[in-house]
Amino acid sequence: MGHEDGKDKVPRTVRDILTEMKDTSEVIVDLAYAALVFDSQEMAEEVQHLERRMDILLYNIRIKAMLSARTKRDAEQLAGLLQVASAAEAISNAAGDIVNLLKYDSDKRPFLPIFLKEAEEKIKSLTLAEKSDMVNRTIGEMGVESETGMRIIALKRGKRWMYDPEPNNRLKAGDLLIVRGTDNGFEVLRSFASGDRLWPQYPVKEAG
Amino acid sequence: MEELEKKLLEVKDTSELMVDLAYSSLLYNNRDIAQEVMELEEYTDELTTSIQQEAIRRAMSDGDVSRAFVTIKLVESLEEICDAASGIADVVMKNVEPHPVIKMSIRDSEVTIATATVIEGSDLADKTLDESKLASQSGMWVVAIKRGRRYVYGPDEETSVLVGDTLIVRGPRDGEEFFKDLASGKARLV
Repeated sequence: MGHEDGKDKVPRTVRDILTEMKDTSEVIVDLAYAALVFDSQEMAEEVQHLERRMDILLYNIRIKAMLSARTKRDAEQLAGLLQVASAAEAISNAAGDIVNLLKYDSDKRPFLPIFLKEAEEKIKSLTLAEKSDMVNRTIGEMGVESETGMRIIALKRGKRWMYDPEPNNRLKAGDLLIVRGTDNGFEVLRSFASGDRLWPQYPVKEAG
Repeated sequence: MEELEKKLLEVKDTSELMVDLAYSSLLYNNRDIAQEVMELEEYTDELTTSIQQEAIRRAMSDGDVSRAFVTIKLVESLEEICDAASGIADVVMKNVEPHPVIKMSIRDSEVTIATATVIEGSDLADKTLDESKLASQSGMWVVAIKRGRRYVYGPDEETSVLVGDTLIVRGPRDGEEFFKDLASGKARLV
């Protein structure tokens, strides 16, 4: 999702805009909680960046939807679609409000990280060990989330943060991963990330 | 954790469940699920009010205004997410079929929704979700279980999965096939 070149363009179709809005509305909430858990101003800024992006997407999807209505039924269905887009944008606003809590001194909100540690799905961090065989493989080829249930919502390499990293992102030794999922999934991921266990290999599927 | 923080957590967990259920209701154009989102919205509304009142009461006794303020602000944001979820589910309650592009977008999304029925012989059958560890095995998180005509919404780790249950799950697209194979008995838990 980052700020790389070209990625800030608005997608051309209603379908692609809505997909991006849905994806963003999900990751932005995780990032907002992560910003509270790790008391991270950088993550809070990313949340605010995504929030502004959602405003632009909502504006664009409204225009495109209006232009595509031909009949009363089109208009009714598109009104529902725009309702979904507005809801995704409202979720992003809520995430923006959540990170605004970081403005208050951390001693005034000490319970926030504690209470988030008890959630059903938790946000945690781990560092990729040099001896882990996850090193030099992409998130997508490993299928990190489908293998462990843990979603990588952000990673820090050196001083640089990458948010909602792409499947083609190749992990490096020393990467700090911010992940979301269950306790059990975290233990599984940690055993791979520490190098205690090898990433599972599956036989190549036969064609058909 | 104090009672108030527990309630706050309940609103947070419920807000996430509501968003997942809302998208599920849209994908399957399912009014039962949409109706559940509406009911959860009333529940979280009540919880929000009681948290806010409790936070003020606590501040009046211990004088910690900042803590009360942060609590009130946070639960307000969580409630906004719940409202948004019911806004999504509301589309299903209208007497208009949801626009086909909505379904496509949900299926295109990084986090998708899928469903499968657990058949006899499946490794998922007669196990709790904790025992099968479905979430960490496949990346798919169970949002609801349809058992006969009834639904179990937001099952927890202790919930058992039975033969014939239809699971509605949320997770990465590349976890979907393994999940379906597990439910049909074509694949085994590791």
